[in-house]
Parts: sequence; structure tokens; C-alpha cells
Amino acid sequence: MTEETRQVLDVDVLFVGAGSASLAGALHLKRITGKAGLDISIAIIEKAREVGAHSLSGAIIDPRTLNELIPDHLEKGVPFEAEVAEEHMYYLSSKGKFRFPYLPKSMSHHGCYVASLGQFTRWLGKICEQEGIDIFCGFSGSELLYENEKVIGVRTGDRGIDKHGNHKSNFDQGVDIHAKTTVLGEGTRGSLTKTLINKFNLMQGKNPQVWAIGVKELWQMPKDSIKPGYVAHTMGFPLGHDIFGGAFIYGMKNDILDLGLVMGLDYKDPSIDPHHELQLLKTHPWVRSLLKNGKMIAYGAKSLPEGGYFSLPKLTVDGAMLIGDSAGFMNGQRLKGIHLAMKSGMEAAETILNALQKNDFSDSTLSDFQNRIDKSWIKTELYKVRNFHQAFDYGLLPALVNTGLGLLTGGRAWGVLNHLPSKNGHEHLTKLDSGSQSGGNGGNSKYDQLEFDGNYLFDKVTNVYHSATAHDEDQVPHLHVQDTDICINRCTEEFGNPCKYFCPADVYEMTGEDNNRHLQINFSNCVHCKTCDIMDPYQIIEWVPPEGGDGPAWVNL
Amino acid sequence: MKICVLIKQVPDKDSSLTIADDHLTLVENNITWVSNESDNYALEEALLLKEKHGGEVIACTLGKDSARQVLKDALAKGADRGIFISDSSFDNLDVLSLGKVIASTLEKENFDIIMSGLQSDDQGNSQLGLILAELLNMSHGSLVMGTEIIDDSTIRVKKELEGGWFQWTKLSLPASISIQSGINSPRYATLKGIMMVKKKTVDDVTASDISSDALESNVTINKIYVPDKTKETQFIEGSPEEISEKLVELFKNDIKVLN
Repeated sequence: MTEETRQVLDVDVLFVGAGSASLAGALHLKRITGKAGLDISIAIIEKAREVGAHSLSGAIIDPRTLNELIPDHLEKGVPFEAEVAEEHMYYLSSKGKFRFPYLPKSMSHHGCYVASLGQFTRWLGKICEQEGIDIFCGFSGSELLYENEKVIGVRTGDRGIDKHGNHKSNFDQGVDIHAKTTVLGEGTRGSLTKTLINKFNLMQGKNPQVWAIGVKELWQMPKDSIKPGYVAHTMGFPLGHDIFGGAFIYGMKNDILDLGLVMGLDYKDPSIDPHHELQLLKTHPWVRSLLKNGKMIAYGAKSLPEGGYFSLPKLTVDGAMLIGDSAGFMNGQRLKGIHLAMKSGMEAAETILNALQKNDFSDSTLSDFQNRIDKSWIKTELYKVRNFHQAFDYGLLPALVNTGLGLLTGGRAWGVLNHLPSKNGHEHLTKLDSGSQSGGNGGNSKYDQLEFDGNYLFDKVTNVYHSATAHDEDQVPHLHVQDTDICINRCTEEFGNPCKYFCPADVYEMTGEDNNRHLQINFSNCVHCKTCDIMDPYQIIEWVPPEGGDGPAWVNL
Repeated sequence: MKICVLIKQVPDKDSSLTIADDHLTLVENNITWVSNESDNYALEEALLLKEKHGGEVIACTLGKDSARQVLKDALAKGADRGIFISDSSFDNLDVLSLGKVIASTLEKENFDIIMSGLQSDDQGNSQLGLILAELLNMSHGSLVMGTEIIDDSTIRVKKELEGGWFQWTKLSLPASISIQSGINSPRYATLKGIMMVKKKTVDDVTASDISSDALESNVTINKIYVPDKTKETQFIEGSPEEISEKLVELFKNDIKVLN
């Protein structure tokens, strides 16, 4: 196999990642180009073995975009679990629970639906295929292809390479997919998106993106013990006031309960462990009572962009666009992004139709995408909460005051400022000698009380088993650490190797003693959440897609 | 060569399986479905034979609607067409009756070779290949580790025996051959292969298409449960030479970590 024999596939428009943004964008594009008398080819590549297997969210879906895209979605069997039937917001102390007396209308989930994002994207994917869109599952994007600084497509990852980098007998060389426009809907912290943002400096003049990590379990409960459409959100325990985030508890059909914890990846203490925080949550008497006689049946984790409006990058370059979580279309205050991701895909589709008609795919035409976003309700929704996340740098209570003042003033920080700055999440980590953390290399003592009994509380390996994650072990690890000397020496001393803690899947392990210590990367555990790529204090971990088809096999997350 | 490959859709080995409260079925809403592992090797072997000798590869499955996916995957890898056998009346049949359904479907095709995986990852009956050989009057080879077409009427197969031994056997065609996992490296579905799927045909077969005598189930499932974990300690006695000899024997034949 040589460059001469590499296969090339030409399509009109290529979407990378078959999540809600790409699927909605591709479907809308197929329809509006059809109406305009254009017969175009649209392809979507997806690294998971099937659509939905790498999709994870709460989820509560605001049907606003779906009403625009597929007005008869109920007749078409949209797999919503239930309309939100009752909603609660609690502040938790370690034992107690206090109900928020008042939920602002803008934070209410009235009229929204509890759903599994994985089921939702599977459904949307089927509709796309029925309407003539090619979805190629098991194909990752390994690099963007350029011609004179213009994006001309994506090279898919090679398959059948062993751990030493040699070709196996079933080696399959990646294909160059050439497209007039490449739309990156890779989801959170997309690997191609990251290279594009860096190459063209697309974050210039913007707040850095800040992420959170969501860690989630599905519980099979005894009959009729959880009502479909039940929604509860909490603040306080176990995260306390210094870490952004909270828990969510949703009721699905068939007595399944969603339990998850979202926490900002801009915490200070390097010994914080998101998986352990979720386990701590379950030691709370009320949460524990909700889970009584239940059985944990699935686990997953995913990062999510929390930065909001001011953290949106420049959305277009010559030949390419960013949509969905890849761009950062998420409303942190409403805890929702699926409707925004889908809408961003649809606005991208409108832009592409125009580009096809002009036969001009340069940035000068594609950049109209930003104008369309600004004229749409996306801007209205995100601009109102533009300073929501930044205020959490000051702690929970000031942030709640800020949220309240923002509601009164259309999003002004502290009721006054138009634009609060932020810094990169990993820059919040404090060094061990600064004395601000309880942990260090021995781990955080707040987790000492956790007893992983295998019934209610689980260690990471048990949880990872329930994510049905599988990677062919005979491949080059897909987590590239540029210089492990930094891990072994500098990081151990300065931060106590936070990768051991922030990874929710036990991928990173420091093994050996003294002079023989080394970093072991258990890449086959990886649930593709991207937290390591985001939170590593030295930014030397590069997450790239493993062999296509590998990774979690989520069904209902 | 006209080759049929039987492929079954089974729960993914990496899924966490939950047994339903009735202890008769699995909870299906948390399962990922995949093509049975050894069937993937059977498909690859069939595609390799086709590449070498020409002919046609037809993928066939029996299952519920979701099982169409295994045919799609097989077509994407290079099978020429598919046969999809599905009917709710087949749900609880035993393997003999299922064999009759499949035999009735395949009979008119006059296949030279029917390839199947050695056993399914779910039921593990390991009987279907043999039953089809009997019903369709074909020769049969099981635990097959290698194949070689001799001429239009003969195939040579390498069969796995006990204790790390193999046996090459000549079978007259038509033949039903059950393939052991690991005999080749199954290919990936390519982009072009996936695009070709739309142009390939899948014939649907339901109960009304089946001409067979009374279908029934003589096997009933009483209970599905997770095996009890029991520790078993074996003491080996004798002189050091005898012990090491017996140990090697155990490693080879019982634990199968040595060849």
C-alpha cells in the first residue's frame, strides 16, 4: 500500500462524527438542497461501531430544534423516554437536603423530554440513511487534508496495524475523503477540531474553552420505584462550593434511573477524582435511598464544553466549519446542548446550500455561518447566559448571585459587566507545595470513606466493565504522551500525577518504585471522554482516535 | 464455487449481561448485538475461496429484524447477496427445527459449500453445520482450521484434533464446513464496500416460504443463571519429572495454554 494506491472518495459534503449536530445538519442539508433542485452526496464518518455507541448525555432534550427539523417526530417514533413530569432542585449537605424554593423559568425543564442521547442519535441516524445520506461507522478521522491552506477533506484512520506499528495481514489503508465542505461535528474536544483551531488560531480574542466532565451510571430499579420523567438536580455535596457542578437524577422508562455528576474541569485540587465524586454522591442518605434494591447496569463518561458564548471559536475556515460540541454550542446554565448542537448543524446546512449555489467554499462564503448563528435564537439563548460559568471561579455562592443578577440584566456579570474573562481549566490546578489540597501522591483523603462494595459503590474497573468498552489490544495506544519524563519527574513532584485521578476509566497508572517508575497507559479502558487531553497540567497528552469501531458500546447512555 | 455463509447475530461479549426476572431470557434493552465471532472467520474463509476460485458468496441469517445488520456487514465486506430468514414463529424452535427451516431455504440454491462458525457465542449448540449436512445430504467437516479446494468436487480441510494434533481430510462437495475461530484475519468493511451494500439484494424468507414437516421444539429452557464460581484445586504427585510431565500435559490438554 503506497500513497499512489490510496483510495480517494469524492463527496460534496462530509460531516465528521454522527452525533446530534451532524445528523441534524446532514438531514437538513439533504432536504434543502433537494428542494433547491440539487442532488448532492453527503457522507458522515463515525468512529463508533454504530451510531449512538459513543453518545452520552443526561439527557433532557429541549424539542425546539426537533420541532423545526422533524415536526412529526412523535409519529416517527422519536425514542423520548418521557416528558419532564416533575422537577426538583436541591442543595445537598453531606447528610441533608434542602429544596430550592423557586426555580427561575429560564432554568425550568418544562416541556422538555428525558431521553437517552444514544437512542436518539440511533433514531436520527436511521432517518438520515432512509433519506440517502451515507453513514460510515467504524471510520475515524485521522487527519484533515489541505490544499493551499484550504481544507479539502479528511483522511480516515488506517486499520489493522499492530502495537509495534507494523501492518497486520488484514491491514486496511485509510481513505482520503475529499469534500467541498468538511463539517466537524466530532463532539466535545474533537481531535481534528483541536488541530484546526490551533492551525488557524481560531480561539484568538475569545475566552478559552472550559470543559466539565459528566460521569454517569444507569440503574435498573425495582418495578415502579422511579417515575419516567422525574427530574432532580443537586448542588453542594459532594463537590462542595469550590468545584463547579452538580448531580442529575432522571427517571426513564422500564424502571431505569439515570444518575450522573457533572463537574467543571477547572478545579484546583489535583487529587480530585470525578469517578470517586460520583461514588461519594451515592453515600448521601437520600441518593442512597433512591437506589435501594437497584442494580447498576451501565456506566460512561464524557466531557462537555461549558464556556458558552464567549468561548465559541471562529467557526469557519476555507473549506471547513465547526458545529455542535466541537464548537461549544452548550448552555451551561440550562444544562442543555443537544438542541443547540442540532440547530448549529442546521444553520451550517443553510450556509452550505448558499455556498453550493455560488460554488464558493472559501471562508468568505462559509463565514456567513457566524451571521446566521447571531441572527438565530442560538445567540439569543447563549448571550443571556454568557457570563454564567466564569463566575464559578469565585465559588458557588457568588456564582449563584451572579446567575440571579444575570437573569435580571440579560446576562450581565454581577449585574454590571458585559464580558467576564476566563482561563484554561488546567491552569486552575494548584501545585502540591501550595498546600491548598488535601491529597498529594497518596490520593485525596475525602475518598477514604468509600467502600467499593460492588452493590452501590464501584471501583473504576468495575464501572468500566459496565461501559462495554473494548479496544483491540494489538494496536498503537491512541493516547500519546509526548514526554513521559515530565510525568515521572516533574508532574509527580508538582501535581502528584492528576491523570491517575481525573481519568474516569483507570487508563493512567504510575507503576514501579523509585527509579523504575513509569507511566502505564491502559488505553483499552478508555471511554473516549477526552478529559486527559483537556485537564493534563502540561498539555502533553494527545487523544487521537483508536482503530475505527473501538471504544465504548453504549446503548442507553 | 457457490458458497453460503451462515451468520448469527448474538449479544456482544463485552456487553454486561443481565438475566431477566423470569430467569429464561436476557434483558435485551442494554445489549449490543454483533455478528457471532466464529461466523466472521467463516465469512472471511468464504471470501478468500471466492477470490481464489471465483464464484459467489451468499450470507444468510435467521433472526429478528435487528439481525439484518449482520447481513449488511457481510455485504459490506464482500458477500454478493443476502438471505434473511425471519418469522416470529421461529422464535422458540430448537436447533433441529431451525436446521429444517434453513435447509428448506437453502435447498433450492444448490450450494457447493455451506460455511458456518463452529458455534454461536450465545447458545453454543455447535450442531447446525452437522444438521444441515445431514438434511441436505452434504459431507461435513467440523473444527476446521484450514481449507483447500482440490477440484470441482473435492475440498481438503484441516481439522483440529485433541492435544494439539491436526488432521487433513478430503471431503466430497457439496460440503457443510464449520470453521474454528482464529483461522484467518477477518477483513474490515471498506468505505466502497459499505456504499455497495445499497446495490446488493437481500431476499426475505418467512414461515410461508418454508416447506418442512412439523416444526417444534423438543428442548425447553428451564433456567438461565450465572455459573456458581467454585474453586477446584488439583494436587499432582510423583517425582519431579513425573510432576512436570503431568503439568505440561495439563497445560496442553486441559488448560490449553501450550500447544
